[in-house]
Amino acid sequence: MYYIHAIQSMNNSDVFKQEDIHQKLVEVSENPTLVTPDFKTYIAPTALRRLSPILRMGITLAKEVQAAVDQPFDAISVGTGLGCLTDTEKFLNVIYTVEGDVLSPTAFIQSTHNTIAGQISLDLGNHSYNMTHTQNNLSFEMALIDGMLCCEEGSKNVLVGAADESIEFLNKLKPSVFDSETLFTTSATFLAISADKMESSIAILACKTIANAAEISVETNAFLAAFGLSLEQINCFVLNTNELETPANSEVFHIDDQLGFNQSSSAFAVHVAHDFLKSSTKEFALIVNRSSNNYLGLILLKNDKTHN
Amino acid sequence: MDIFITGLGAISTIGNNVDEIYASLLAEKTGIRKGTLDHSMKYHVGEVPLSNEGLMEHFKLKTKGSRTALLGMVAAKEAFQGHQLMDEVRTGLISGTSVGGMDITEEEYRNYLKTETFDAEKYKHHPSGTTTEQMAEELGITGFVNTISTACSSAANAIMMGARLIRSNQLDRVVVGGTDSLTHFTISGFRSLMIFDPEWCRPFDETRKGLNLGEGAGYIVLESEKSLQLTGKTPLAKLTGWSNASDAYHQTASSPEGNGAVLAMTKALSVAHLQPTDIDYINAHGTATPNNDSSESKAFINVFEGKVPPFSSTKAYTGHTLAACGGIEAVIAVLSIQNNVLFPNLNHTTPIEETGLIPVKQITRIENVRNVLSNSFGFGGNNSSLIFSKL
Repeated sequence: MYYIHAIQSMNNSDVFKQEDIHQKLVEVSENPTLVTPDFKTYIAPTALRRLSPILRMGITLAKEVQAAVDQPFDAISVGTGLGCLTDTEKFLNVIYTVEGDVLSPTAFIQSTHNTIAGQISLDLGNHSYNMTHTQNNLSFEMALIDGMLCCEEGSKNVLVGAADESIEFLNKLKPSVFDSETLFTTSATFLAISADKMESSIAILACKTIANAAEISVETNAFLAAFGLSLEQINCFVLNTNELETPANSEVFHIDDQLGFNQSSSAFAVHVAHDFLKSSTKEFALIVNRSSNNYLGLILLKNDKTHN
Repeated sequence: MDIFITGLGAISTIGNNVDEIYASLLAEKTGIRKGTLDHSMKYHVGEVPLSNEGLMEHFKLKTKGSRTALLGMVAAKEAFQGHQLMDEVRTGLISGTSVGGMDITEEEYRNYLKTETFDAEKYKHHPSGTTTEQMAEELGITGFVNTISTACSSAANAIMMGARLIRSNQLDRVVVGGTDSLTHFTISGFRSLMIFDPEWCRPFDETRKGLNLGEGAGYIVLESEKSLQLTGKTPLAKLTGWSNASDAYHQTASSPEGNGAVLAMTKALSVAHLQPTDIDYINAHGTATPNNDSSESKAFINVFEGKVPPFSSTKAYTGHTLAACGGIEAVIAVLSIQNNVLFPNLNHTTPIEETGLIPVKQITRIENVRNVLSNSFGFGGNNSSLIFSKL
């Protein structure tokens, strides 16, 4: 069991540094914009200018989470579905439009997926394990599996997160590339996990990914059965699919309604489930993350505030 | 718990498979030459001579994909050759890539800039994760499929992730490594950083000017002891040490003393329960950029307390294959262990003045190669070290 000691998100809802975010979600608008703090509080103005939204979010959220746990991370594991798209597109423009021998390398340097985690290590002066996973919409689950593995191996304070940014061009490509009618949005969530309980009461019990998944209900029941649980015992579902029949008395959040389409949405789903459990006496929450090509991610959260 | 290696696969400019690559290594024959494509013809690069159609036909690939995916399929299939899928053996695929389907995306995007029209279908190949999903489809692997993207250390990190998942009893067998194709994007990127050598690269040479890019893929199969009993495969070597550390110095440059590299090598030795004196050969990252080779050399001196074991960079053979290099070099490390041979660092004449270190300069056969250290360092100060050991 891995306890969540701090969790922060940034997206098109006003959620950064907010409590009980499950009550503060707004439906995604026609023109979703990222709600941000004043980044200058977190990032030097000279650096800020060259940093894309995904990098700004990563640094800011990591710093905020580190401030909350008040100790340096001994591992950093980040997921991203599409990576640093702003800089990728910028550099594509540079190579096809700039004449002459001298090209600015900034966009290229910042286009690699691991710029998010790398920039966090630079900003925090952190020399520990630093990993970047990218598996379309299961990228967060992969980062979480790695983060939990780091805890198992002895790490005491692991930063796990996921971030994806939308660029205008992406909306031109839907729905043929991505199985989504909703708009692309920008979103990131970072959390600190540890095997030590300390002050926390919300824990991640398990995370599983399945390539070529069978029917969702079959996979979900099998996943829960390993913990002696059934669907009826789950109090809260945060999902991106209608294919799972949820028990009548459970709380259900359809993450796409708030977030639109974002490949890091399951990280935000953990935040929603975390805040729901924290503000209640309910015990279990399940995140169900399905992708169009039959990949499935399942994350089980437990509240052990009142249940030991 | 022992992690066994039971399969090797690679494709690069020096060969379409492991045997061809081994023959080129022994012949001290580089594959780097003037590029043949519009965006590569001004540079010395390590291109795989087959076109995408050529790759599909020659290797009888069933799944379509970007060049990165196709190269990955070729090497991963070679590594997985003779392996059977079975329910009792939880089998995964973890692949490193940095460009994913960029070879297709960049063509399409150039078209879009010219004509403002686009074929959205083509962008389906873009995500790096999709590259791995296409490879999984070709191999028939379902279950755990993951992609690591940490620039030039991607394959080494994929290998490490696989070993850790086996040790944690989450997987029994896993195909791990990396793949990257040469793209206009990366060629322009390294040009913008001004770290190309216009001629053949010279790793660890005082006169080195920079790197030559390459493309390719390299994969190995890792198995637990329990898995070996079920698959009946004969292990070739073991993976005994691994570590990743962050240099936290600069977005692209390594710290002058190679702090992240020192951390990675030291921790990998500790994971393997080995002393520095147990290492018989280092396959260095050795990109031949002024910064990397100086920083890595100093890290060697620090970790090995001045007694640096025989080392070389094989990038003067293959070019720097970015996310694939840790996979190709893992195959080279196992070849070194299997054959008790150290591969030379081509094009070396003058040691780096500050360190005086001289790499292995010709094919060298020694009595016993017990342990090989393999380094891969990426942008963002992402430093990884792996240790391969004799059975």
